[in-house]
Amino acid sequence: MSRLYLITGFLGAGKTTFLRRFLPLFSGEKIRLIINEFGEAGVDGTLLKELSPVLEEISGGSVFCACRLDQFEKALSQCGVDETILVEASGLSDPTGVRRLFAKTIRFPHITYMGGICLVDAVRFPKVYATARSSVRQLAASDVAVLNKIDKANPEQLEKTRELIRGQRPDIPIVETSFGQIPHNFLEILAASQQGDRENLPQVADLSSRKTTITIRPEISVYELSKFIEMFAEETYRVKGLIQTRDRGLVLADCVGNVVSVTPMNLPEPPENTGKLTILSGPKTHLTQALKTACTWYRQYIT
Amino acid sequence: MKDLLIRSLHHEKVERAPWVPFAGVHAAYLKGYTATEMLTDADKAVESLLEVNRLYKPDGQPVIFDLQIEAECLGCDLTWADDCPPSVSSHPLDGSDEEPPEVPCDCKIPQKTSGRIPYVLEVMRRMKEAVGDTTALYGLICGPFTLASHLRGNNLFTDMYDFEDEVAELFTFCKKVCIRMADYYLEAGMDVIAMVDPLISQISTGHFQQFMAEPYTEIFDHIRKAGGLSSFFVCGDATRNIEAMCLTKPDSISVDENVNLLAAKEITDRYNITLGGNIPLTSIMLLGNQQDNMKFAVDLLDSVKDKTNFILAPGCDMPYAVPVENCIGVAQAALETDAVREMVKNYQTAQVDTSNVVLPDYASLKKPLVEVCTLDSAQCAACGYMMGAANEAKATFGDAIDMVEYKYIYKENVARFVKMGVPNLPSLYIDGELKFRSIIPAKSELEAAIREALAKYQA
Repeated sequence: MSRLYLITGFLGAGKTTFLRRFLPLFSGEKIRLIINEFGEAGVDGTLLKELSPVLEEISGGSVFCACRLDQFEKALSQCGVDETILVEASGLSDPTGVRRLFAKTIRFPHITYMGGICLVDAVRFPKVYATARSSVRQLAASDVAVLNKIDKANPEQLEKTRELIRGQRPDIPIVETSFGQIPHNFLEILAASQQGDRENLPQVADLSSRKTTITIRPEISVYELSKFIEMFAEETYRVKGLIQTRDRGLVLADCVGNVVSVTPMNLPEPPENTGKLTILSGPKTHLTQALKTACTWYRQYIT
Repeated sequence: MKDLLIRSLHHEKVERAPWVPFAGVHAAYLKGYTATEMLTDADKAVESLLEVNRLYKPDGQPVIFDLQIEAECLGCDLTWADDCPPSVSSHPLDGSDEEPPEVPCDCKIPQKTSGRIPYVLEVMRRMKEAVGDTTALYGLICGPFTLASHLRGNNLFTDMYDFEDEVAELFTFCKKVCIRMADYYLEAGMDVIAMVDPLISQISTGHFQQFMAEPYTEIFDHIRKAGGLSSFFVCGDATRNIEAMCLTKPDSISVDENVNLLAAKEITDRYNITLGGNIPLTSIMLLGNQQDNMKFAVDLLDSVKDKTNFILAPGCDMPYAVPVENCIGVAQAALETDAVREMVKNYQTAQVDTSNVVLPDYASLKKPLVEVCTLDSAQCAACGYMMGAANEAKATFGDAIDMVEYKYIYKENVARFVKMGVPNLPSLYIDGELKFRSIIPAKSELEAAIREALAKYQA
């Protein structure tokens, strides 16, 4: 079985130095690097020479474009059955499509999704976070945030960046570092976070979060429920609820990061809290506005 | 029907939803060319686009779908690929993020003679002459936000934070480029100018309103005053920006599979804007089969109760290698929805009873048997061409061969196709062997295949 790691991060987050530290964790394994850098310079050539991974470059757009997802799938279809696959979706790339591909389909049964890592530039993050939705989506799709270049950030910048990450993802472990250095147990931290094993995540700070509950009417369809949640999912870190739907009956709606899953539930009778959707978000997101817009779009289903 | 699409863009009642296949580099695939060949050679581009027109019977079609045309003229280097449009690999305005972007002088706005613009204009003129009376033609322009990001690179996002005035000036320059390009394309006969701005889905509604509302309002106003129709294409999850896009007053908006089309249409209807979309590009068009495509298109058409202000289209630029039969299936669903709805019902029947189907005893035939399996050669363009090729061969070989057409519209033929294992339509079999699948054979190819079969009987 091959293992796939997703690496995201906006410009200048230090991906080359990170890869220099990250790749040796897979020493002796066959490594495949799939790069989708939309609008950014390529990976340092020296690094590739040193580590000689198989390199696949997705050109002509970004993984976030539905019109280029075929390029990503083509690259995946060329993967072997026992490889370590590192997908780098940086710059303006939105990794949501990649996450959804593994969450919703079994198109690549020989590949196990191992988690997402978001590289964050401690100095510039506040700026790109304020302007590029892809920064929000990259953080939403990740399991560990690597806060890089802390040596270059002044205390105010560093605190502001931490605050933004915690504001959106109070649940995510943050690895603070310089020069892409990562702790020896980095893969364990990633695995624990990806599996929701909070007890083994020493670096998760407080889980200060906002909890919002809304009631969904049973006339909603599964598709509409998914699209409704997607409209505000990136402003949350967890959405969950048992919802009655018109086409699939009782379903469990569950959203971690920005990937929504809806599973039909076969219960003898609907529990008391059916129809209540619980939304957990960080204290500093734009959830209120996003939720308001979503409720306007689907107003006939919200009570 | 061009008229149908034009009426739809004028928000009039229409008898069916117009159909616009966004066949960019996919057109090249139909003729066996690479994306690069098609996007640099006018003869190959025209040949490919005419094949789209011939096979898919569109009411409207894009001429060249390449968002790098303007960026290339302005100094961006491109990386070319065989199966997708080129990508931008260098940004002429890139530099320190501590400094604001240097806005190019208006004298840098591309001329008709710049870069590949002469090639684009030639293809447009030739397409206009060839099919312009029957098909509405779309001229596609890279929108100001994506163009600015091509020129500046990722620093554009920190510029929006640090240098609001300067970045607004850069957007103004890009807007002027768009307006100039629109003038060139309208002059070359394009009926619809589509502003394609995939990166719009990457900015917040607030930033759209701050930086993009004014340029887009002016661009669409300019197109309207120049007598053209306009469209606003976005990629990705632009749901939250749809209403802000409506406020810039395009004639139409096109969205991909990330957007809930029905919910979006409630918004666009409120602004009396036509909405196009949103057949999934990869999961349905590229990886689905023909029946999946017909079913998706019929279901989508059926879900849109009022066809006013609706265009059936793929979500965005179709992948290069979309199987031709898949797009034929969508075209057929668009043009003959009722008939295809019936076909889909037959397809969905869990168990097709094939016990009454008697296939010919191919081993005991006295002469070659050509069997043409079609959706319906009277209605489906590609099926008609396949049948035409078979008829021509029949005229050439006369009584030396037998020929029969089976139409999928008849339920008894569904069972036959299941028993024969017909993979997709149209297909042509000789003596029970699949010889041509979806691709219409040239006269010489089909004749050669028949001669080969004849030789076996003579032996």
